[in-house]
Amino acid sequence: MDQLVTTLFNGLSLSSIYLLVALGLSITFGQMGVINMAHGEFVMLGAYTTFCTQELFANFLPEQVGSIYYFAAIVLAFFVTFALGCLLEKLLISKLYGRKIDSLLATWGVSLILQQAVRTIFGAQGVNVNAPSFLKGGLAVKGVTFSYNRIFIIILVAFCLVMVWLLVNRSRYGSRMRATMQNRPMAQCMGINTKKIDCITFGIGSGLAGIAGCSVALLGSVDSTVGQNYIVYSFMTVVLGGAGNLFGTVIGAAIIGFSSIFVENYQSASIARAIVLLIIIIFLQFKPSGLFTVRSRVLDEGV
Amino acid sequence: MSNLLEIKNLSAAYGESKVIQDLSFEVPKDNIVCLIGRNGVGKSTTLKSIMGLVKTPSGKIIFDDNDILKLPSYERVKMGIGYVPQGRDIFPRMTVQENLELGLEAADGKSRKIPEYIYELFPILPQFAKRKGGDLSGGQQQQLAIARALVSEPKLLVLDEPTEGIQPSIIKDIGKAIRRVNKEFGITVLIVEQFLEFVMGISDYLYVLEKGEVILQGNTEKLSREDVQKRMT
Repeated sequence: MDQLVTTLFNGLSLSSIYLLVALGLSITFGQMGVINMAHGEFVMLGAYTTFCTQELFANFLPEQVGSIYYFAAIVLAFFVTFALGCLLEKLLISKLYGRKIDSLLATWGVSLILQQAVRTIFGAQGVNVNAPSFLKGGLAVKGVTFSYNRIFIIILVAFCLVMVWLLVNRSRYGSRMRATMQNRPMAQCMGINTKKIDCITFGIGSGLAGIAGCSVALLGSVDSTVGQNYIVYSFMTVVLGGAGNLFGTVIGAAIIGFSSIFVENYQSASIARAIVLLIIIIFLQFKPSGLFTVRSRVLDEGV
Repeated sequence: MSNLLEIKNLSAAYGESKVIQDLSFEVPKDNIVCLIGRNGVGKSTTLKSIMGLVKTPSGKIIFDDNDILKLPSYERVKMGIGYVPQGRDIFPRMTVQENLELGLEAADGKSRKIPEYIYELFPILPQFAKRKGGDLSGGQQQQLAIARALVSEPKLLVLDEPTEGIQPSIIKDIGKAIRRVNKEFGITVLIVEQFLEFVMGISDYLYVLEKGEVILQGNTEKLSREDVQKRMT
């Protein structure tokens, strides 16, 4: 019984991290249709931002405020990756709408550049982010321990999920965004600056990757390839759930997260990977456009 | 009478092929002006040029005394042009209410409320408020599209074939609504249309287009129906 509860909790925890990385992708890939290979590197940059914030707080501020650094890091990570995302969209991706393969290759190049840049600045050795004091330890219930940092990540993901849902479905910005993705020329004829919407939307997707980076930093050492560990599964999460559907993304993350933890429990980690991939392949044979299908934006730019 | 819109020596092209060459015409303030002509003579392209949706390599588009030729679409709309495209282009996965609220974008945050008279003009809209735009019938979508263009109270309403594929009773309603916003709110109207009956009934001034050129024009009441008909076939 304890074993099962632990497994379920770990599954939930892993799913939530995939979901957080996938949440950004569900916007840039699901809504906008851009295959951004550098999304994982935005996760990595978010993690390094967390590290930098920690060092800054440790060096320049009294020890009592030390633990707050993590909240500052979440906000900073969002804005750093948001700004970089906007920059990437302006300089590169906006030139490549309608050319999927080109934008895939170009963003892959960006991903390599970012990895190397981080390696040059911070060294090839990973850096460590110390969990803030209130996230150390865990909650013990009848012999099962739920670590605080994993609980925190689950709450953070739930928070981000609600925020994204509100942004897309309930805000004025969200209706501009949906209008742009559904019918670009007509959105312009409603008085919407669609280029600006593209840029900011891509920035928000990237910013969510930055927040994901903050939580990834709690789970282990951070190096230049940390984003790569999550990116493949997160793309699969979005594809499995059906591009452009938030609820689908949640279910997709749960399927992938829980099945890998369960298989890993009874077999090895590599078997788990193989089996998860197999599940996805078989699944997509029958539902090639994902669990919940919504037509996604056609990737052609009018004028 | 002053002109709200003047097109001067305009050319428009899709890629390499020019559809319109050296087209000029005027839309006087407070009038209902129609452009008619056969399929493929460049009527819709003319409207798309006005909205900034096709390339316009040369010419002038003077709206409200400003040359808008080089402005992006969204800025033209904000200057007071409401556009109802051919095929309506309702946002299919947004509700009727959301579609209407998007009309407020052009008013640039001035108000968040849809003016009452919109519902008066199109009484079917409130009962569909929560339905998805894509689930409405053609006639309902057309009414929604016109309402959406009127929400921001534009100076000029531009309609591309508003009667296409619409049943006669709804065409009548649409005609009434257009005439009302013209008379009561002083909104100037530019319509592209093939349905002669509708055009003769609603317009003050008429242009007949052929191969991207005006071949006949005049006050609607002074033109004979047969004359216009002949140029269209």
